Amino acid sequence: MSALLEVRGICRAFDSLMAVKEVSFDVEEGELLGLIGPNGAGKSTLFNLIAGVLPPTSGQIVFAGQTITGWKPYQVARVGVARTFQIPKPYRQLSVIENVMLTAFRHERTLAGARKFAEATLADVGLADYSGASVNTLTVGLLKRLEVARALAMRPKLVLFDEIMAGLTPAEVGVMTAFVAGLPARGITVVWVEHVLYAIMKTADRIIVLNRGEIIAAGLPSVMARDPAVVKAYLGEEFILA
Amino acid sequence: MPAPPSNQEKISRRFAILPQRGTVSVFEILLFLACAGTVVVGLSPSLNDVVLLTFLFAGLALAWNIAGGYAGLISFGHAAFFGVGAYTSTVLSLRYGITPWIGIWCGALLAATFGAALALICARLRGPFFILSTLAFAEVVRIGALNWASLTGGPEGLSILPVPSLVNMVFSSKTAYAALMLGYLVTVYAITKSLETSRYGYYLFAIRDDEDAANAAGINPLLGRTAAMALSAALTGIGGSLFAQYFLYLDPTFMISPELSFQFALLPAVGGLGTAIGPVLGSFLITPLSELLRSYLGSSAAGLHLVIYSAGLIVVMLYFPGGLAAALNKLSRWKPFS
Repeated sequence: MSALLEVRGICRAFDSLMAVKEVSFDVEEGELLGLIGPNGAGKSTLFNLIAGVLPPTSGQIVFAGQTITGWKPYQVARVGVARTFQIPKPYRQLSVIENVMLTAFRHERTLAGARKFAEATLADVGLADYSGASVNTLTVGLLKRLEVARALAMRPKLVLFDEIMAGLTPAEVGVMTAFVAGLPARGITVVWVEHVLYAIMKTADRIIVLNRGEIIAAGLPSVMARDPAVVKAYLGEEFILA
Repeated sequence: MPAPPSNQEKISRRFAILPQRGTVSVFEILLFLACAGTVVVGLSPSLNDVVLLTFLFAGLALAWNIAGGYAGLISFGHAAFFGVGAYTSTVLSLRYGITPWIGIWCGALLAATFGAALALICARLRGPFFILSTLAFAEVVRIGALNWASLTGGPEGLSILPVPSLVNMVFSSKTAYAALMLGYLVTVYAITKSLETSRYGYYLFAIRDDEDAANAAGINPLLGRTAAMALSAALTGIGGSLFAQYFLYLDPTFMISPELSFQFALLPAVGGLGTAIGPVLGSFLITPLSELLRSYLGSSAAGLHLVIYSAGLIVVMLYFPGGLAAALNKLSRWKPFS
């Protein structure tokens, strides 16, 4: 069986800086893959390469058997890859439900159909009471939920989460973690970039650790937490001894 | 996820009194009846001119609003499309004997091509850079029209024979023109209303509000912007043809002037960007005001009408940034005695 997403030797240079160097990994269908690394490790660049925001300098990305290298974001979205934005990007002049309807239009061609699907998605993420509200009234925590709802309303095969925990209260992190953990069972494969480590370490099936644009370790979350290379990348040399 | 508590008040209304997306409101029906009544009853000849220009400019403001209000493509170059429409139908009629009833559609098509070209040329430009490029685009079209004298008549312009005939779309009565312009207004309004409640309309809102998010939702932003500009340009071109049939004379200096472009942008801005009723209200307020001020003050105190006109605009922009449409909504919630 081939993987849902295959990233093969992908590189991206910004002038002389190699932000992502020869990164390769597979994501199996139904997997919850965590992508972590210190600031500047190249997580966001890698994320944007998969989503089509940036074209890679070299390398290949294959999704569901189709080469999507160099595709535009809307083309990547149309084959079933949804994403969230680290800094929420809602449609400011539209209501909460209209924000979600716009991604539901991928599979619901009528306004009424999209509205119905969006309502169900909003209920799913706990935003049902806000469906008619203006997005400008939402708190950071609720905007993050809206990002998740927009991505899921597309009925994606693969969803890319970009730091959906940042700015959330501990209680909200708990709720969101449990929600994300339930997605693979619903047939949605997840690639998740996160800085809130306790959330991702608890939830992910497998963790890939990036540093300086390269994969320095990959494996089970419990193993990664004790890996000397990982600890060193995050905390520096002397902490290994302690 | 469990729902956090919400303080959102539930608004439910069985039928709409004020204009809103998705339904035809009482306000819109009454306004239409008043317009139709004005056409049927007829005012004095000089006022009839004001009425029909008000209708025409309301339609043009709505056409501009499709690009500027819904897709966020603020254009100061729409006079180019107005001119392209007017010249196409007039040239086809004068040189090839093709009736304007057909020529208008040719003008719309050519204007749409110009609109699509503008959107593609400015594909990577945003904000002020986009706006300035549209202004420059219209200037290029104007100077082109001025110099291509064999086709456009150059600075001397083109005249349409003032002989009333249905085939040539020239009428002796102002009532016929007023009905024609009202028909144009209602058509553009209907297109706008249906766009507001269609998937494609929503795609434009998304591109306007956040292009990256729209892109991630599977919407092709360049295609959306191009289609919106082409539709807006086509409808503006039709307005240009109608104006030529009424005015019976066209020259590039007026038809493709920046002043006209500003006017197209100003009416929706005053009325309320991105709403259907806004551009109509904007034209109903501004067009008669500017026409009447000009005719009453134009001779005795030349230039004073511009001062009053501008002062009015500043007041509207300062106190009603959402335009007249927003002011109308605010008024409906105003409870002075509670």
